[in-house]
Amino acid sequence: MNGTLSYPDVTQLAVPFFIAAILAELLWIALKNRGGRYETRDAVTSLIMGAGSVAEGLLLGLAAWGGLMLLWRITPLDMGTSLWAVLVCFVLDDLRYYWVHRLGHRVRWVWASHVNHHSSQHYNLTTALRQTWTGTFTFMMVVKAPMVLLGFHPALVLFCGGLNLIYQFWIHTEAIGRLPRWFEAVMNTPSHHRAHHGRNARYLDCNYAGVFIIWDRIFGTFVPEQDHDRPDFGLVHNIASFNPLRVAFHEWAGLFKDIAQPGLSWKQRLLYAFAPPGYSHDGSRSTSAGIKADHLARHPEDAGTPGFDS
Amino acid sequence: MPLELLLALVAGGIAAIAAILHLSGRSERAVLTAETARAAWLRHCPGDSIRNVRPAADGQAALIAAQSGAGLVWAFGAATVARHLSGAEVSPSPNGLRFDFNDFSAPGLSLTLTAAERKHWQALIAAARAAA
Repeated sequence: MNGTLSYPDVTQLAVPFFIAAILAELLWIALKNRGGRYETRDAVTSLIMGAGSVAEGLLLGLAAWGGLMLLWRITPLDMGTSLWAVLVCFVLDDLRYYWVHRLGHRVRWVWASHVNHHSSQHYNLTTALRQTWTGTFTFMMVVKAPMVLLGFHPALVLFCGGLNLIYQFWIHTEAIGRLPRWFEAVMNTPSHHRAHHGRNARYLDCNYAGVFIIWDRIFGTFVPEQDHDRPDFGLVHNIASFNPLRVAFHEWAGLFKDIAQPGLSWKQRLLYAFAPPGYSHDGSRSTSAGIKADHLARHPEDAGTPGFDS
Repeated sequence: MPLELLLALVAGGIAAIAAILHLSGRSERAVLTAETARAAWLRHCPGDSIRNVRPAADGQAALIAAQSGAGLVWAFGAATVARHLSGAEVSPSPNGLRFDFNDFSAPGLSLTLTAAERKHWQALIAAARAAA
């Protein structure tokens, strides 16, 4: 196969669908008076973050593309472009997404980029578009390298990544409750992803799946949404700004401010960058593990229930 | 998709959605009462023991005295946010008080308070800081 294979940029092609679906969800909420809520500035901020993320991809994505093409030239493997190759690539890319997403919640350097997606206190289809402007700086693109070395063309890998993102759009809604059991068992759904966006102690660090929820079930991070403990959307420490620049960069600003504190050892500076979010050298903050432990101290009856079973 | 078309779609889509949301009344801010301010603080700071809640007359914010220290909870669109006041600079402004949190994720906040409220809030904040 030559190096000029190309697939459509599906995320750009999906823009009219995104707009139509948002309007449809809004109409549904207005007519039914349930199924979520919208707020003007919150929604506009999310949409601007989405547009900025596409722009960032166009501006900075070339470097990553160059790197992947370099790997493509040196790999002796070629899986081709058959339907089977596309399906296998899609599943492997979803596995890649699971681990990158998990790192995005467990390593502050990556969380600094991903945090903005969780920074809305609302959960609707615009929240899906509240995407990072700084993904390139996490260097998580390297996790795509094994797929290219396995013989999947970079264009195919990026195509599958785009399809994955489009799948995840529709699950950012409160308008859909639960879907048939077989579907909830295999696929990521609005219910599973609402739990992922919950700031409740129970839901911290769960349900990292993109398309297939089976990864969470396999790797022990699945927590089902609980009717008696509805997800409270947003961050543990919610941001107080609709300014897209603050949304995009607030955690980076906090990270570098922490690193630059006087009197820290080099190990402490590194931990501020790469330890789980909430790390502090003096114990003045809490990681998700600490927040769960504090919750169980106040609510021992929750021990052993989903999200508190380890 | 041609870049010009993509830009037009994005700009037009954002403008249309913003207009529909605003015209359908979805720009209204939360209004805090003593009860909702208490709940909002506990949402931010679970397990804290609240000693006193003092909402501003216009309902846009409330001063909190809690075991964890003095704090402010305020309307953020239809939702709320909260911050402790330790490390914050609180200064008088023409219409009330100005709060600077020294926090990139929470830019300064100017609250409208009556003269009597401002005086009372300043006294409460000073007392909370003295007790800390």
